[in-house]
Amino acid sequence: MKKNVGDFSYREGFQDGIPILLGYFSTAIAFGLICRNIGIPFFESCLYSLTNFAGAGQFLAINLFASGALLFEYFIGINLINLRYLFMGVALRTNLSKDVKGIKKVIVAFGVTDEIFTVASMKNSDNLSFNYMAGLITSSYIGWNSGTAIGFMMGMILPKALQMAAGVTLYAMFSSLLSVEFKNKGAKVLLIAGFSAAINSFLILVLSFPSGWSFVISMVSSAFIGALFMKEEN
Amino acid sequence: MKSLPLFLIVIVASVATMIPRFIPFYLSFLNKVPPFIKKCMSLLPVAAIGALIFPFTILDFLPVWYAGLLGIIAAFVVNYYKQSMLLSIVISVIVTYIALLV
Repeated sequence: MKKNVGDFSYREGFQDGIPILLGYFSTAIAFGLICRNIGIPFFESCLYSLTNFAGAGQFLAINLFASGALLFEYFIGINLINLRYLFMGVALRTNLSKDVKGIKKVIVAFGVTDEIFTVASMKNSDNLSFNYMAGLITSSYIGWNSGTAIGFMMGMILPKALQMAAGVTLYAMFSSLLSVEFKNKGAKVLLIAGFSAAINSFLILVLSFPSGWSFVISMVSSAFIGALFMKEEN
Repeated sequence: MKSLPLFLIVIVASVATMIPRFIPFYLSFLNKVPPFIKKCMSLLPVAAIGALIFPFTILDFLPVWYAGLLGIIAAFVVNYYKQSMLLSIVISVIVTYIALLV
């Protein structure tokens, strides 16, 4: 089973990335639409997705931008929003084949997103090949960037009401992910997500916290409390 | 910040995104974390989802506060039974669209 090059081919990675491609594509359409609505030109909108490849992080980033945050706040805010990548990277690194170094490592590190991490982790391998990761990242990257460009262009032709409805795609994507987790791991998933939703709503609506900080506090505290109360398995 | 070239703002966002992505691949201090912290890490994505959905799925569609809510419920149910993210997103947009029109 264990070969030098590691488990799984480029082709398998690309195929495993197709559901991500579809989810990203529709989510990125919303990103492209929003960019256009807040006045970011086409070139910069595409560049945003090409250089960040950050899913929800990009929505929060342009939120911070549109709300007129200082450059420093924006930088720290984005860092905090993406802090979870630290932990995902640690876990993913231990699952990679030993020959992933140099430029290969740069590409894998660039491609760590929530969904790519989740799909790669679900392979339950501690010897994932670079080719597999590259395939997974390629299909996801295509979905994210083509979606951004097409979303921006759709903004020019879609009726206003439908554009507004398309704003739900991001939340719909999270909700679908949650539904998969719920199916696999049971009700505790909903408890943790519900707790985090409640804290975030409280911080933003009642205490008027900035959304970047509130997101980090809600996420970290819910994961902590979840870990305290759920000692069984894993 | 709005006086800065947009190009620069995009690059700053990229650098801020890539720092946490690259650190674990090049520094090893994070490897020796205790099991409890690892357990916390494994719960982070689910914990993030809750805060990513609420309260903005309500706020984004005001004054029709339930439009986004109906949309995400539709996505959850469709994906639970059909396991197709694209289908659940499309249905979610349709449900939200109808809720906004009614």
